[in-house]
Amino acid sequence: MFSFSPDRSQYPQPGPDGKVEVDLETGKYLKLWHGPNHPGITGNMSVELTVCGDEVVEGKTHVGYLHRGFEKLMERRTFIQVFPIVCRVCVPEPDFNEYCYAAAVEELAGIEVPEMATWIRTLILEMGRFNSYMMAMGGISGALGLGVVGQWMTYTRDLMLDRFEELTGARIYHMFILPGGVRAHLPEGFEGRMEEVLSTAERYLADAEKLMFHSSVFKTRTQGVGYIDPALFERYGVTGPNARAGGVAKDVRKDSPYLVYDQLDFTVHTEEASDIYARTMVRFKDLHETIQLIRQILKKMPKEGPVMGNLPNVLHWKIPRGETYIKGESSRGEYGYYLVTDGTGYPRRINVRGPSYTHAMALLEHLISGTNISDVAALMVSLHTYPPEIER
Amino acid sequence: MRELLYRLKDRYHFGTPTFQRDDLCFVTVKRSELRAILTELRDVEGFTHLTLLTAVDWIEEQQFQLTYMINNREANLTLALRVMLDREDATGDTIHDLWPTAATYQRELREMFGINFPGSPRVDEEFILEGWTDLPPYRRDFDTLAYSQQTYHDRPGRETHDPKTHMQKVLYADYPKGAK
Amino acid sequence: MSLRDVLSPFTAWKHVINDPVTIKDPFSREASDRYRGFHQNDMDKCIGCGSCEEICQNAAIDMVPVEGQNAGPGDSGLRPMIDYGRCCWCALCVDVCMTGSLTMSNEYTWVDSDPDAFRFVPGVDAKSWDLEPKGYQREDERRLTGTVRAPMGETCPEDRIGNFDEIVDGFTAEQAIIEADRCVECGLCVATCPAHMDIPDYISKVRDGDYEGGLQLLYETNPFSQACGRICTHKCETTCAAMHEGDAIAIRWLKRSITDSVPRERYFDLIQKPDVPETGQSVAIIGAGPAGLTTAYDLARKGHQVVVFEALDKPGGMMRYGIPEYRLPYHVLDHEISVIESMGVEIRCNMRVGQEISMDQLKTAYDAVVLSIGLHQGRSTRVPGSEKAEAAIDLLRRITAGEEVPVPEQVAVIGGGNVAMDIARSMARLQKIKHGKVGVTVTALEELDRFLADKEEIEEALEEGCDIFPARGPQEILVDGDTVTGLRTWKVDAIFDAEGRFAPKYDEDDEMVHPAGMVVEAIGQMADISLLGAELTEQLEWNRGRIMIDADGQTSEPWLWAAGDAVSGPDVIHAVADGHRVAVSISRMLTAKREALQ
Repeated sequence: MFSFSPDRSQYPQPGPDGKVEVDLETGKYLKLWHGPNHPGITGNMSVELTVCGDEVVEGKTHVGYLHRGFEKLMERRTFIQVFPIVCRVCVPEPDFNEYCYAAAVEELAGIEVPEMATWIRTLILEMGRFNSYMMAMGGISGALGLGVVGQWMTYTRDLMLDRFEELTGARIYHMFILPGGVRAHLPEGFEGRMEEVLSTAERYLADAEKLMFHSSVFKTRTQGVGYIDPALFERYGVTGPNARAGGVAKDVRKDSPYLVYDQLDFTVHTEEASDIYARTMVRFKDLHETIQLIRQILKKMPKEGPVMGNLPNVLHWKIPRGETYIKGESSRGEYGYYLVTDGTGYPRRINVRGPSYTHAMALLEHLISGTNISDVAALMVSLHTYPPEIER
Repeated sequence: MRELLYRLKDRYHFGTPTFQRDDLCFVTVKRSELRAILTELRDVEGFTHLTLLTAVDWIEEQQFQLTYMINNREANLTLALRVMLDREDATGDTIHDLWPTAATYQRELREMFGINFPGSPRVDEEFILEGWTDLPPYRRDFDTLAYSQQTYHDRPGRETHDPKTHMQKVLYADYPKGAK
Repeated sequence: MSLRDVLSPFTAWKHVINDPVTIKDPFSREASDRYRGFHQNDMDKCIGCGSCEEICQNAAIDMVPVEGQNAGPGDSGLRPMIDYGRCCWCALCVDVCMTGSLTMSNEYTWVDSDPDAFRFVPGVDAKSWDLEPKGYQREDERRLTGTVRAPMGETCPEDRIGNFDEIVDGFTAEQAIIEADRCVECGLCVATCPAHMDIPDYISKVRDGDYEGGLQLLYETNPFSQACGRICTHKCETTCAAMHEGDAIAIRWLKRSITDSVPRERYFDLIQKPDVPETGQSVAIIGAGPAGLTTAYDLARKGHQVVVFEALDKPGGMMRYGIPEYRLPYHVLDHEISVIESMGVEIRCNMRVGQEISMDQLKTAYDAVVLSIGLHQGRSTRVPGSEKAEAAIDLLRRITAGEEVPVPEQVAVIGGGNVAMDIARSMARLQKIKHGKVGVTVTALEELDRFLADKEEIEEALEEGCDIFPARGPQEILVDGDTVTGLRTWKVDAIFDAEGRFAPKYDEDDEMVHPAGMVVEAIGQMADISLLGAELTEQLEWNRGRIMIDADGQTSEPWLWAAGDAVSGPDVIHAVADGHRVAVSISRMLTAKREALQ
């Protein structure tokens, strides 16, 4: 039988200065590409690992496989023409881009958004969060070989995509949150169909809970693994569930309420362990919070009212010189848009601040040294990163 | 936020601040004082979170604007420090020792804007682009349209018509257009 | 490690008896009601304005001419062709569509091995989803380009009835920018404007605040932009893309806002005569109205010597002597004409051709002659007593000239056109000044909604206290001795017969007598052609009482051109267009003559 030694400090042998000197010629080290096509990779990125035995000495994140130069493309498009592009910055949770961009433009152009639209925006963002968390749940269990949970989560996400489809007219890239408001009201009978999705999701989540948080395998592979020292959070720009798993009760929705979050009741869940298990648990709890929030929004939102404010003629829409930053709490942490205008009909600069930018680059590279190859996938997925946010 | 800037203004040179929102302020600082301001704000004033670091190309003014956006998470305040760099000699000062994550931003700025940050870890390594030899692509003078026209080809057979010109051709081709 | 943690994963086995959740046949799965699938375009509604092409961030749309769709008023005849290799299904084209013709079906499963099949013109190239009611549509009217016209300030009826001051304030700079902002620059209006003014271009100058550039642009097509900015019949606004869902752009007022915003003395700097050599050739123009003066402006700028002969004592023609001052103030007109004079045009007033100088003399002394005499003779109803009626056009001229006109307490006007409104409202003002109250009755054959007058003219006349009696046919002007006492009318049952000829039918039982100390006939005007003389009248070719002209405005005589109301009907902008056309034709003839001599 295998014997399991938790003491890994002997491999590889650090030099006198405490650092490991990697010399490939010695034959002791091996370069190993983890990705860009790998089931344990979130999206198209890769980590160049230097391993010694099964021990990771060093990891370098490589991105660029999805680079489409969005920020540059946006500079060549009018303010309304940017709207169809922004959602493409993030596949699993595109709505955050739409909201941040719309809110930034509204702030600089001085456009009022009707109340009804802010409620629908909040609903859309929570639906997006639901989808994103579903993918994260499926991802982490998939990375640990629990494929069946991935299938359940993908199925429930698909049910939510049906709701997205009937509300917004599209499944993935919804292009629904226009600057000035949203495109449409809720369709007839939407609440009822949404409730079916939510209760189905809760059933599957109850099953998933047994397979994840009550599974000895899952616990062994995740507890104590991938620990992030909370002292590093600020240095590495760690936000969202990754920070909450280390006891930092920060959530932009609570701390700096936007849209209608100040009118909603919800809890910011935290864990203390700051390991993969804790991060997954925070997401799991937050997913239930999201389900609760969707129900709450549908119950509290006004029944009628306009969904679009007054826009100028968008075909020659100029916005005075200015700059602003709009942020929100996405499923992965602080998501923000930095918009600079120069008085013309085109943005001077749009910078997307995706949480993955810090999580998957500096933080991951820092965490990955000293882990075991078999834990790399779980570690990466537990940071819940989406590469398109990094390279935009 | 006003009070904070008021407190610091004797020791540092600030430009006129823009109070965009109650919780968001933009202010221009001198490059030579940036590091001191950032350190003080981080260690004394609670601005511990580096939200982002990016650049804006004001090509008409021959300047790059570096935006250091820092956030006080307890007080929920965001302060964006602008540092103006000469576009010709675009060099910034690395802050990776204050925030290790800044190294990533600086690497990206090096690649996309051609702004160098001497001393920043791996700053010369390719980040997103591979084998790029053209202008740094996020500079305003890099023309994406021209690039794509050189690199790719349009679908053949496409032709559009301007309604006004088309109607002139069809409906009143003979009319003498004014005193032109 | 608890036993529970070992056992609980096995609960997953309960799903082994569940049915699969996969959709077995994805091609028959219908998309949701608002799904953004392939486009549909309603050919009856599409006007080919190209806003969809303009907004498309993927450059997926080309405007192309298609079979069966012809260019015409308010329709370019072009239709959007969509390249689905580029389309990202964002539906901004649907949102911006000016007419609501462009929508999306919920069809998304179409497969074809030919990539070129995915480039087609929706609504023209038949597709299975053309009639599919489901799919993305806007919730309400378009919201991306502004539907409501900027408000225009006007003097209120109480303040304007006692004087001839201008009524309409004109846009403020802010209002003008708001209104100019709504224009989508499709240019459909340009084809409708008789002078084909560069409407979207000058509107964009308003938007940019470049009024001087705008003024220069206006003068390229219309030296009467100040007048047209106030009293143009603005047919352009009837073909504006914005009118389909919302208000048409106030093109006329925007033109005015340019002319009002440039200081008067700047006109002479901005509009200068081009540096061209004098040709030594000369042209005589009869009538200093918009047609004659436009011709003069163009010809003078080409280096010809131009003399305009005007019968009345001031230039301007119908713009001065027909249109009341409250619609077009005289100082505006004077300034406009002084710009034309600054091109070197000589205007000789009080020179009635046929009296002070003859046509023969003009023919001999000048290389070409332009007849732009307008319509200055009122038509009569010829009902009994009509010899006692006043002609509206004559009365308007006398009011302008400052002559004393009789102002009885009660006036009846026959006619429902703009001239009828002009005289009714002018008389109302005179009554208010003289008697302190208004007593004007307007009768016309048409129903109110078929009146030829502009809607705002009718509204303003009503506001000012004029009584309007639609569908009344004049039967007799009642006279007691030498004084007019009233107008007798019958109710009109029909104006035209089955063949569409003018043959009013009356209900003789429905008779009304409108008491009036003066009856004014405003049922149309004709040209006073007595100046031609018998011989020339005989030589010229005629068409239904009008001098026949070719497409360039030339009559059957090689030295004589005709332009303006006398040949094109009453409208300033048509007169301007005529003027340009005639000037080009004359200039061509003169150049040929010059070259022949060399």
